[in-house]
Amino acid sequence: MASPNITRSREGSDSSFDSDSELFKHEIIKHDPAGLGTSKTPWQQTLAANRSTAPGDINDGLMELLIMINACKTASARRITAVIPNFPYARQDKKDKSRAPITAKLMANMLQTAGCSHVITMDLHASQIQGLSMPQTLHSSKLLIIAGFFNVPVDNLYAEPSYLRWIRDNVDVRKAVIVSPDAGGAKRATSLADRLDLNFALIHKERSRPNEVSKMTLVGNVKDKCAILVDDMADTCGTLAKAANTLREHGASSIVALVTHGIFSGNALKTLNDCDALSRVVATNTVPFSEKRKQCPKLEEIDVSPTLAEACRRTHNGESVSFLFSHAPME
Amino acid sequence: MRRVQIFSGSSHPLLTDAICERLGTSPAKVELKKFSNGETSVSVETSIRDQDVFIVQSGSDQVNDSLMEMLIMISACKGGSAKSITAVMPYFFYSRQSKKKSHRGAITARLVANLLSVAGINHVITVDLHAPPTQGFFGKPVDNLHAEPLIARWIKNHVPGWKEAVVVSKNPGGTKRVTSLADALKINFGLVTTDRRRSGTNGSLAGSGFLERMGDGGIESHISDTADTSPPNGTAAESEDSRIPPRIRTSPRLAPNINGASATSIPYRGLNGYTRSSPLAQSTRVDSASPPTNRIPVQREPVTNGPSRALRLEEKEEEEEDSANEYTDERAREVITGRLVQGHIVDDDAPSPVLSTMSASIATLPGDVMGQPQLDGLDPMTSSFISSTSAFQPDHSALGGSMDATAHSDDEEEGFKNPEFEHTVTLVGNVRDRTVFIIDDLIDQCGSWIAAAETVVKRGDAKKVYCIATHGLFGDNSLEQMEACECIDYIMVTNTYPIAPERVKTCKKLVILDISTLLSEAIRRNHHGESISALFQHFPD
Repeated sequence: MASPNITRSREGSDSSFDSDSELFKHEIIKHDPAGLGTSKTPWQQTLAANRSTAPGDINDGLMELLIMINACKTASARRITAVIPNFPYARQDKKDKSRAPITAKLMANMLQTAGCSHVITMDLHASQIQGLSMPQTLHSSKLLIIAGFFNVPVDNLYAEPSYLRWIRDNVDVRKAVIVSPDAGGAKRATSLADRLDLNFALIHKERSRPNEVSKMTLVGNVKDKCAILVDDMADTCGTLAKAANTLREHGASSIVALVTHGIFSGNALKTLNDCDALSRVVATNTVPFSEKRKQCPKLEEIDVSPTLAEACRRTHNGESVSFLFSHAPME
Repeated sequence: MRRVQIFSGSSHPLLTDAICERLGTSPAKVELKKFSNGETSVSVETSIRDQDVFIVQSGSDQVNDSLMEMLIMISACKGGSAKSITAVMPYFFYSRQSKKKSHRGAITARLVANLLSVAGINHVITVDLHAPPTQGFFGKPVDNLHAEPLIARWIKNHVPGWKEAVVVSKNPGGTKRVTSLADALKINFGLVTTDRRRSGTNGSLAGSGFLERMGDGGIESHISDTADTSPPNGTAAESEDSRIPPRIRTSPRLAPNINGASATSIPYRGLNGYTRSSPLAQSTRVDSASPPTNRIPVQREPVTNGPSRALRLEEKEEEEEDSANEYTDERAREVITGRLVQGHIVDDDAPSPVLSTMSASIATLPGDVMGQPQLDGLDPMTSSFISSTSAFQPDHSALGGSMDATAHSDDEEEGFKNPEFEHTVTLVGNVRDRTVFIIDDLIDQCGSWIAAAETVVKRGDAKKVYCIATHGLFGDNSLEQMEACECIDYIMVTNTYPIAPERVKTCKKLVILDISTLLSEAIRRNHHGESISALFQHFPD
């Protein structure tokens, strides 16, 4: 059995994702028992790794991915797996007002039309529930909604095992508390708190419009503790900054933020630099941001490429992926 | 019009305004913006339930953003229970990528057609598709409108002496478009074609062939030899067929060059004999509009004396005429050649880019099979075999039947800037002291336009040159380069594609023809269920 071809979606100006795909390849060769490496002749399987949603050229990246998938399809690839760590347009998954487009559904249709036969993504189910106005949605996971748009298998990976390792390595776990900056993220925060055997707290915010935060209420005790804010996405970072300030007011000794997708658009870097309460912001490299790290010393990176590489390997060899939900492969 | 909503994408709002004005309505309200992370957001702010929706979006510099915006708008209208959704795309996205150009190449136009279908369109209206077969990629009806009647009317109204003008195609693939306009205007047409010659390859092969054949003779001495013997041959060629006046306007050095090329070809063939052993070899000439030649065996014979050389010359000319005969009853009286180095016409005695005088002499011979570089001489079967079995690939051939004239017209820009290549330009048709309309469907890169304009002016002595196209994409700074080119007098495009107003202001030669009449009429007729075939007809005089 020949090993898969990994196709990288574009030479990014950002080097982090380039190194990712190199790592993909590296991992796969390392784990390939037959040691076949990346032989080119038979197109057994193609893993089109999208550089996901870097702000600014998300549509370019998406079209590029679709064209690559289509090219592989017409070149008789047996199976085409789209590795989309940060699924674009995931937030537009329902008709929240009249005549609003369900763009996530359109996205699924487009990927399948192009010829995609499998999707691997990361932390898709993360809550983007805006406010607590719909408590029933607390338990409806976004994964189910978006995976339901597809007629092909969707493997959602979790950054949580990577988080756990980072927390154990970098924070004094005995004095820490996990905080969810919004009610929607409570499930993830509790899960993480359980795994670390820690307490957790929750910030209830009222959001009048997207990307804007008005009022915050803290539920739980953070006094003299290291508060670890956990969220799926850091975009303009307004939420994070306000949550950090709220935690500081309630006596947290130090505040760290962990996010899966660090988009950091708009004036996010300025917001982070100005927020004294927040000491470190840690994001996975699903979205490239190493350029931004030069402008904001608080930013740190968790490499999730071993998880994605292992998922690619397991998918290719027909092994179970569920092991990765609880364990992060060693780098 | 009742129960119709016309939406404008962000790529070309001016065109939508013009269409709506003609229809006595205004664009429907829609909010188009981007989230801070770059995701496109669409919000339809008017009811569309059970209405006919038309979404006008052309290509733009941010083509992917325009496309995504269009797809999301279609999806939103579909979800908002529109009765029908018509995509009005004056310039169709990715229309130039309508076939596989390389192994594992993507057919992106088909992908885009599928994406539009999956988003929910019922109907497509577009103008002058780059490759009309793209219509077949849609499972939905496509109205491919023609700008030609508008262009013909503009020519009749604005060009003095248009009845004496000549329509010229700048590549063999566009001949059909050109003859159609020539028929509509009842004027003559011509053809400019370029053959790529890699002078480096040519020179070395020819040189080695020479040394082998001549034994001790150097290149310079051989040239002088042939130059001495050439005049009788030239006169023989003319005297054999006195019905037609000299059809090749030979430059002072052309005759010796012919001799040189034919002489070199014999050992050259011997060196590459295996390519000719294929039975397919005879039918695989793709470099010009001439039909597949069956005269290759003739050239196997040693050509040493005047009469047989002259005979071959005649045959060459007949070939050129055969190609012209496919389209018009009138025989092409003029076949003019020129040399093209780095996109510009040069004199015949200008040095070749790789300093090989031999390559220059070979390249000057029109349509000479033997002068072809080695790789071009391979037939597709051989080249595909080679490419699938080794890393060696002929430079621009491909699987999937792309070795046709249109593929060359798409690729022609690529080689122009490359100093490695020298091109032979061949102009068929008489343009002396006439106005010339160079026609194609779109202007993106300007190299081939400038080359064609220089050919008709400098080699053909044309009076005025109009560059006419439906879509003015003007990539990079091609508009500015065409403005600077002294051989081009006017540039005429329609407003299917947005051109920045500041660029329009700086360009005095540019004429923009309004196409909104055509689109608005197509929209009106589609809504009322009337035939649109009247839109394809030319305006009466």
